[in-house]
Amino acid sequence: MTTTRMELVCPAGTPATLRAAVQAGADAVYCGFRDETNARNFPGLNFSRDELAEGVRFAHGHGSKVLVAINTFARVDEVDIWKKAADMAAESGADAIIAADFAVLEHVAKNHKQIRLHLSVQAAAATPEAIEFYAAHFGVRRVVLPRVLSLQEIAALNRAIDVETEAFVFGGLCVMIEGRCYLSSYATGKSPNLNGVCSPPEMVSYDEEPNGTAARLSGFTIDRYERGQPVGYPTLCKGKFKAGGKTSHLFEDPVSLNAGGMISGLKGAGVTALKIEGRQRGKGYVSEVVRAFRKALDAVEAGGDAVDVDRLLAGQSEGARQTAGAYEKKWR
Amino acid sequence: MRSPNAEPLLPGFVRRLFPTVAGLPLGPLLTLSLRSLAGRRPGLFERLGEYRSACFGIDPVDLAFAFRVVPDGQRSSVRVVSKDNTAGADVLIRGPLLTLLGLLDGTLDGDAMFFSRIISISGRTEAVLALRNTIEDAELRPSDLLGLHGILARCVDTGVLGTLGAARRLADNSPGEA
Amino acid sequence: MSEIALTLGPVFFHWSSDRLQDFYRRIADEAPIERVHVGEVVCGKRMPFSDPAWPAIIERLERGGKQVVLSTLAAPATVRERRSIEDLCGDERLVEINDVSGLRSRSGKPFVAGPFLNVYNEASAQFLIQLGAQTICPPVELSFAAIGILSSKCPEAQFEIFAFGRLPLALSGRCYHARIHRLHKDSCQFTCEKDPDGLSVDTLDDQQFLAVNGVQTLSNQVQAFCPSLAALTSKGIRRIRLSPHTCNMVEVARIYRRLADGKEEPDDARFALSCLDLPGTMVDGYAHGKPGWQATAPA
Repeated sequence: MTTTRMELVCPAGTPATLRAAVQAGADAVYCGFRDETNARNFPGLNFSRDELAEGVRFAHGHGSKVLVAINTFARVDEVDIWKKAADMAAESGADAIIAADFAVLEHVAKNHKQIRLHLSVQAAAATPEAIEFYAAHFGVRRVVLPRVLSLQEIAALNRAIDVETEAFVFGGLCVMIEGRCYLSSYATGKSPNLNGVCSPPEMVSYDEEPNGTAARLSGFTIDRYERGQPVGYPTLCKGKFKAGGKTSHLFEDPVSLNAGGMISGLKGAGVTALKIEGRQRGKGYVSEVVRAFRKALDAVEAGGDAVDVDRLLAGQSEGARQTAGAYEKKWR
Repeated sequence: MRSPNAEPLLPGFVRRLFPTVAGLPLGPLLTLSLRSLAGRRPGLFERLGEYRSACFGIDPVDLAFAFRVVPDGQRSSVRVVSKDNTAGADVLIRGPLLTLLGLLDGTLDGDAMFFSRIISISGRTEAVLALRNTIEDAELRPSDLLGLHGILARCVDTGVLGTLGAARRLADNSPGEA
Repeated sequence: MSEIALTLGPVFFHWSSDRLQDFYRRIADEAPIERVHVGEVVCGKRMPFSDPAWPAIIERLERGGKQVVLSTLAAPATVRERRSIEDLCGDERLVEINDVSGLRSRSGKPFVAGPFLNVYNEASAQFLIQLGAQTICPPVELSFAAIGILSSKCPEAQFEIFAFGRLPLALSGRCYHARIHRLHKDSCQFTCEKDPDGLSVDTLDDQQFLAVNGVQTLSNQVQAFCPSLAALTSKGIRRIRLSPHTCNMVEVARIYRRLADGKEEPDDARFALSCLDLPGTMVDGYAHGKPGWQATAPA
């Protein structure tokens, strides 16, 4: 059980969204640089070095923290790019660096002892042994938990480790273990680990065909929509496939995570911080989600039940369908 | 006979929102606006990155013409073209004028509009994303585009946004809509 | 003695104890392979079935002159699974670590860094080498050229390329075999045993794309990367990994042996492989820095 207040950690894809998140009540915001050093490397997204410094000033001025994601894996012969990004993050006055690669963790631990090191979900550290390894070698202070753990498993984990934990509570759900998935590079040549992207936009095509609109990735049909149906983005693992004689959303239904109803459960399980996913989402979305979770978290910290977060946020989820994900064991 | 799923028709007075100020035709006027914006807010065009040299076809379905926009900073260009002259654009964005303007002023969310098919977007998805993320961060107001400041800016913003808001409400409430 | 060594990777699929014994008996007696990995990598629930078979299999392989490596789980979750890794790490033989959990137990002793550990650059490789990594088989999405650079920058370890087999692409907490049969992972009835090469997953338009094996997602297509001896030597890559399938793996090993000894040209090796009963068409995109599904060389 955490006795201190849980932290609300919110996505900041651009300077404008950072300001919106802070003003909506975020305790901390997380962001990345405009290159492959972070796992949301989309066109038009993220921060320049100056924008980060300005964002840190703004956030600190409003009492919020800034965490910089340098959470992809450095490329062969180009490790310096990632090291420089870590240096820039430290110089900007940010409060923590979120990393996954041994090379990046080692560089920060050796050269920037004053900045907190958080372990990214991309490091896929889901056992006490793995987490303690990172803590012992790099002085990691917090681990972002993979979304595959149930509440009981999280509680057991917190009892077994000294490091803080941060759990996702809202947003897009990755069904595969993050940081160890190459589905995207198999189809498109680009992946989270190689390039900081998944199902990259330049390989997306929407083809109007007689039987509807086909959403394809590198020519592989990911889904098909009838006329009048809203189309979705063809993220590989959210598609419809044929296996064993059945057609279905085999890997995951296109739902998103909403664990708003589990805030007190997560607090009871010893979680330090709640994380909202969505650096690629707009200001409107982020403001609304952060405000709702701020309200819910404040209610729980005051000893009450979480206000009806489900209802507040139903409109904001992908395909307007939600799940509490792996936190409930029946997800498996 | 209008189909049951058609979007609201644009009331006549909204069409008169488009000025021809100082005798300049629309294309050159918007070109100068965009270049002036580039001077005042270079960060926007840096954010667009390589996609600033892409050609964006904007087709408001309720106007008789369309635009070809190349948002290349101080070398930006906006050309008014006929509807069948949008081929060859890297991205084609088609939709009701009010909805398109709503994207610009942040009233409407690009994702929601795109995925619900009120706007249709085709072409290079990565250029679309770059544009969308840049507009999201830009927090543009009409005064930005017209290069106005201070009290005049506030009047125009309230006026145009207010008019847009009124126009939207009018359009939504017009009789005979789906 | 050839400069290039062949490794038989661990079996990813749920093969019965009998099947495993028959398989490894043939490998021990007939396959020109220096090193053989044994053990369960994908799903801890299968371990009670295969555990009893390993001692005899290991003994048979070692008698056949093979070096045996004990592979460990890639995504341990339960207490039992975590403890199994710890136990295996105590063995004197070489151990393959596929999850950071295992690094704690094995640090200071020699190990193989398997393709489920994220080694993407020379600094991370060095970090693992300092902990005891002797062989590093990087994630399958890393190109031949990139592995070559790693090898030149980290001469203290041997680098291994995943050259043959359906490519391991992802792991999940959710079991896809169970899901297809509308079961839960906890009461899965081990349906994955029915698909000894994995179960094909096609797109809505019947394009061959992926395959599932319990919690693991693989490519449908079969990696069949055939580098020449000259290419391997120039890149300093000394090991080739072959991942087991139900096709004639002894023949696969013989083909790669001829290739690695410089006795067969890549085109001929590819032709020979294409005559075998493979679970999918042959590809090698990843090795060439391209999307994995591409076949850059003519079949």
